[in-house]
Amino acid sequence: MAAPHPVISSDPLDPRPLIEGKQTDQTINDSLLEHVWRGAGKGWWALFGIALSALGLLVISISYTLYKGIGSWGNNIPVGWAFGIINFVWWIGIGHAGTLISAILLLLQQKWRTSINRFAEAMTLFAVICALLFPLLHTGRPWFAAYWLMPYPSVQGIWPQFKSPLTWDVFAVSTYFTISLLFWFLGLVPDLAALRDSSKSPTKRFIYGIFALGWRGSGRHWAEYKWSYVLLAGLSTPLVLSVHTIVSFDFATSVLPGWHTTIFPPYFVAGAVFSGFAMVVTWIIPAREFLGLKHVVTAKHIEMMCKVMLATGMIVTYGYVMEHFIAWYSGDPYEFAQFFLVRQRGPMSRIYWLMVFCNCVVPQIFWTKRGRTNLPVVWIAAILINVGMWCERFNIIVTSLHRDFLPSKWENYAPTWVDISLFIGTIGLFSTLFLLFLKFVPAVAVTEVKELRHELEHAGHGAGGENHA
Amino acid sequence: MSGGGEHGSGFVPRRFVIGQFATADALLAGTRKVREAGNKGVDTHTPYPLHGLEDALGLGRPKIPTLVLLGAIAGACIAYAMIYYMNVIDFPINVANRPPHSPPTNLPITFELAVLLGGTTSFFGFFALAGLPKPYHPIFEAEFFTRASIDGFFLSVEVPAGGSVEKVEADVKGAGAVEIQTVAESER
Repeated sequence: MAAPHPVISSDPLDPRPLIEGKQTDQTINDSLLEHVWRGAGKGWWALFGIALSALGLLVISISYTLYKGIGSWGNNIPVGWAFGIINFVWWIGIGHAGTLISAILLLLQQKWRTSINRFAEAMTLFAVICALLFPLLHTGRPWFAAYWLMPYPSVQGIWPQFKSPLTWDVFAVSTYFTISLLFWFLGLVPDLAALRDSSKSPTKRFIYGIFALGWRGSGRHWAEYKWSYVLLAGLSTPLVLSVHTIVSFDFATSVLPGWHTTIFPPYFVAGAVFSGFAMVVTWIIPAREFLGLKHVVTAKHIEMMCKVMLATGMIVTYGYVMEHFIAWYSGDPYEFAQFFLVRQRGPMSRIYWLMVFCNCVVPQIFWTKRGRTNLPVVWIAAILINVGMWCERFNIIVTSLHRDFLPSKWENYAPTWVDISLFIGTIGLFSTLFLLFLKFVPAVAVTEVKELRHELEHAGHGAGGENHA
Repeated sequence: MSGGGEHGSGFVPRRFVIGQFATADALLAGTRKVREAGNKGVDTHTPYPLHGLEDALGLGRPKIPTLVLLGAIAGACIAYAMIYYMNVIDFPINVANRPPHSPPTNLPITFELAVLLGGTTSFFGFFALAGLPKPYHPIFEAEFFTRASIDGFFLSVEVPAGGSVEKVEADVKGAGAVEIQTVAESER
């Protein structure tokens, strides 16, 4: 084999590498699987302990909700939707970065996606699991949920209302989860075979062997596999847009001031990608440090993600500006009051201003290269964006509901300990699943990185005559 | 016992000649050569898909795209028919005097089910076409084959029943394989 290119970059104009150092298939294989073979360190156990305690809180708060009923939540009339739906929308949104990275960036042939897609796809799955808990619990009696949600010939003799966005949501979210899971697993199969074949102990070899399904890298299989993978990506691409669009319909098709607006679908989708990338960055900055992934998740990857956050953050900001403009321009007094009085100066105005700060001001630091490459700054900014996006959903849902048309209907809202525990609990569930994922499955798509290395090396040799410095 | 099968059970072990190649390009060239030498049942085994593999193996058009298209169309039809049957034929409900059959509100679910069935067809269709899961394959008998998922480029040729192993081995060697192993299916 010819000597590998010392620095492998995808772009002749940009010398910064996507894969750092001299790598071969063997070194990539060993370095990316190393964190699976290495025993769990003290740091992992410490984090896992914290995550498990938060998961315990989830078990307690779910049990209490089921025992007492959803009266134990802070919801009231008119604030009939509160933490349950805020958290649902927040978690679903976080999942969108995974699908965007794995599907849209694959179709656009963005090579930098390869090092982070596995990571982000896993995040999608776990975020959707957390999200699904909330509407199920919000039904009050989750064991009856199938009656109300699924179109099957039940004893009620009545069918779901297909003109309701809530029914669309059931289909959208369950499709989203299923397709994300299949896509994730399909990408994982060759890596599981690599795990099977590099394992030292027969037990691990056996267990990974089961999940690898007897994969033998056959050329006949690859020929169909490539198509299967790219078509799943193609099918996931409209899902990125449709899932959050349908979630936004839950609000936009009603007449409530603050909800009844046509800008919701694109603005929800941009917000979802914005928060999803923030969550990926929040996890990947520490993970690349501790899992030894710095040679495949390079400064360039972080910078690209910062640029996506800046772009989607600007779209979200535009959405806010447009909402306010239309509220003024339409001349509707209720809309005007909602945006200019209630949100900015009402009892929940602190959350509004926190949202403006986190979502509109914070991403502006990504305009400068220094802002995009200073990892502690990027990490803190990403966390603030997560907070900001949660505040946005709070504003849309609670702030709009608590001051609607009739002053006699106005009511304040405060979450109870159950609401807060459920939210913290789902963060625990997400973290637990994610830490288990980091322990047992390669966090980076090993096969795809090898393929990228092969491709870049060949491209480097092919174009060698023209742009070799 | 190993390599046996002459116990009158009627078990004829499948035999494979497996050759390892030094580079991806050598494998592609070698695959062509081995096929041109008249061998059937040629396959490659690589850690990642190689450009030009389909050509070298002489594979036809992939079947997955057609299957996925059919799956997606089936999903859309099933969804629309389901909504139509439930809301128009079986149990129409008059909500605010909206028509029972309202195409715009049917679109989201029609779309979602098209994606769902297209996607599941892509996934399960691939595994069905590939004949996976298949935990045992004779090729796993070769010790060096564990490199196939890590960094090795392999070629395998199934020796036809009653055919000569030596001829196939010579072909694979002639095509540029650096190492060769011949394996036989074990009887279980």
